[in-house]
Parts: sequence; C-alpha cells; structure tokens
Amino acid sequence: MKKALILVAALTLVPTFVAAESFENAYLQARAMYGPGAVFEWNGKQYAAVHEEEAEADIAATAENARMMVDKAKAKNKEVAELGFEWKLTRGIIKDAESALTTGEYRKALDLAAQAKYHARMGIKQYHYAQSNWQLSVPQ
Amino acid sequence: MKIIKTMAFGVGLVLSAQISQAADSGFTLETVNPEADRVALQNYFKKRFPDAELNDYVNGIYAVDSNSREQWEEIEEFPPYEFAVEEGEVLFNTTFANGKGYADCFENGGIGIRQNFPYWSKEEGTVKTLEMEINECREANGEKVLKWSKGDIAKVSAYMAWTSRDQIIDIKLPENDAGAMAAYLDGKKFFYAKRGQLNLSCANCHVQGANIRIRADLPSPQLGHTSHFPVFRSKWGELGTLHRRYSGCHKDSRSHPLKPQTETFRNLEYFQSYMNNGLAINGPGARK
Repeated sequence: MKKALILVAALTLVPTFVAAESFENAYLQARAMYGPGAVFEWNGKQYAAVHEEEAEADIAATAENARMMVDKAKAKNKEVAELGFEWKLTRGIIKDAESALTTGEYRKALDLAAQAKYHARMGIKQYHYAQSNWQLSVPQ
Repeated sequence: MKIIKTMAFGVGLVLSAQISQAADSGFTLETVNPEADRVALQNYFKKRFPDAELNDYVNGIYAVDSNSREQWEEIEEFPPYEFAVEEGEVLFNTTFANGKGYADCFENGGIGIRQNFPYWSKEEGTVKTLEMEINECREANGEKVLKWSKGDIAKVSAYMAWTSRDQIIDIKLPENDAGAMAAYLDGKKFFYAKRGQLNLSCANCHVQGANIRIRADLPSPQLGHTSHFPVFRSKWGELGTLHRRYSGCHKDSRSHPLKPQTETFRNLEYFQSYMNNGLAINGPGARK
C-alpha cells in the first residue's frame, strides 16, 4: 500500500520536476544572470542564450536584409495586435527601425527590428498563456 | 492486483480533485457564475481588509488606507469636480438644435439612472454604457458626437452620476442570454489575464496588489471600482471617464491601449460594475 502511494506521488510530481529543469528555464536563467549570448549547459550540451530574433538579425547589414527584418517585425506585430496583446513600445521601435533603414544605418535597423519582433512574439506567447491560465488569480 | 487497485484509487483521487476544481471554476460560458464571483470577491476583500466596511469600498483606496483617506477628505471639503458638475448640468439642460435634449433620450429624463449602466442590450447584442448613450442621443438628434475620454462627455456624465448619488448599483445579467454572459465572461477574462511588457493583469494590482505600494502609489481594491466615475484626477487636473482610466491602466502595464468604448472595454465595465452590485453610486469622485 505504502509503495503504491509513493509511486502515485512520484507519477504526480515527475512533471513538476521536469518543468523545473526545462530548457526554457535554463535559457532564461543564463540570459538573466550573464546577458545575451551567455553560454549555458543543459542536459550535458552547451547552448548560447540568444533570442531567435537576435540570431535572425545576425546577418550582413544590407538594405535588403534590414528591410526584410523590418517587414517580419511588422507582420508579427500585426499578428499580436489582432490577438489584443500588442505591447506598448513595439510600434515605436518599428518606426525607429524604419528611420534607421532610411538613413542607411542597416545594423541599427536590423537590431531594432529584431527587438520589435521579439516583443511581438512574446505578446503572442503571453496571449496563449493567458488562454489557459487567466483564471489562476480569480478569488474563489 | 492489490497494488494495481490501490494505484487506481490514488490516481482516481488525484483526477477527481482536478475535475472538481474545474467544476467550481466558473471560467467558461457553461460554468460562469457572476453572483458567485461577486460574493467571492467581497469575501476576498473582507479577509484582506477586515476593518474596512463593505459600503466604503466605493471610496477606493481611501477605504483601506487611513493616511490617504485623511488627504482625500481634505480635498473633498472643496470638491475639485464641483464646477464640472455645474457645467455638466448646463450642458445637460441645453436643448439641441432640433429643440430636444438629453432628457428626451433617457428613462426618467436622465435623472438618477447611473446605477443601471452599463446594461446588456439584447436587441443590439452589445453592452451599452452611459457615455455611449450620451453620444447616441446627440447623433440621433443631429448633433456632433463628443470625444470619449474627457471634456463635455465627462461633464454630462458627471452631472448624471451626481443626480444618481446613493442609488444602489443594479447591473442586470439577463437569464438565458448567452450573449450577455459571454460579454460578462469576456470582461472577467480581460480583468484577470496578464498582458503587456510588464506581464500584469488588472487583478495583479487591484486584487492581489490592492493597497501594496507600486513605487509611490497604492492601487485601489477592485471592489467599488466604477462607482465614482467620471473622476477628477489630480494627475489629469480635470475630469475623465472610466474608459480614459482603463486606457491609462492598460498603458501602465506597457500594453498598446485599446480605444475608449471599444467592445472589450465595455465588457470590462460590465464585469466590473456587476461586481459592485449592492454598493452605492458616489460619482463623480476625486482621486490622486
């Protein structure tokens, strides 16, 4: 009986422990503690704490690439706006990226567009999280 | 075999706990129970602030923080919204070009009716707010609509709230009306969902965070929100509508704010006002 209960408890708790050691947690911790690009180890392998958008913007600073990145940021922000979870600063960042593109500051444009796209992607993630978790703080 | 039975029992216990939790939740159109929400919210604040009187929650943070209350009571000796109420009365009683006026658009000539807003319009399939009907009244009588957030619309609304002081808030959720319930649920969901770059929900500040300092500010408890609008905020230096405040709060979480009177904000007002059923209208109010 005792063994069986321990097994049930273990089965119930396993997902919690797995979640605590998730790749995302390790990634976020490394980035928060050591900054963008920090190298961290997870499950015996090494990774760099770089956002998807930072990796995407790590290309040649040309007008064509910068335009492409700005367009991607705009599209992603449109997506999050339609979900009602657009962040406050994103439109301004996209505007700054476009200005940088106009003045030929392609690296700046790439980096700003990457930041805006990241904001939009996080807003979308927040939307999906809210769909299944919004009720957690409702008084019962 | 005995072990399998015991394990099945254990798993059953875990699952039944989760299922019964889901059944109590009231988070879907099938299960949402506005009255249970209202009682639960009141009980939550009774537990958080046992010394505060239920009827005093219409006074926001001043119901639970004595230092802020002292300052506010001094402000209320010469209410900063007084002139706006007088101007609102003049605007309310000024006839339109066609000879009609606001009184012709509302029940009881528009006097003492604030407590019934917002309401669910079955015919139009949407939540109607007082400000929305003020502008609809103007439009129907050939007048230009007013801007939503401040100025004349806030003054007319303030006068109408003034004539409704001490009336008991009575927001109706028509029975067997899925549309009304969906609007209520949408408002509730908006209130409790985290959003914006700061990942904050309305509830983070106004339920769990009520009377807990955010830098120099003390957020008010959710219970009683909406009863005192429009408000004269010291920060604005003028009157503003509830939806102006919603936009500001939305921005404070670093969200791109919705426009006043959008469906989402009206649904939020519907949910919040229902929570205040049984409390008294005390608008317009003065806030920091």
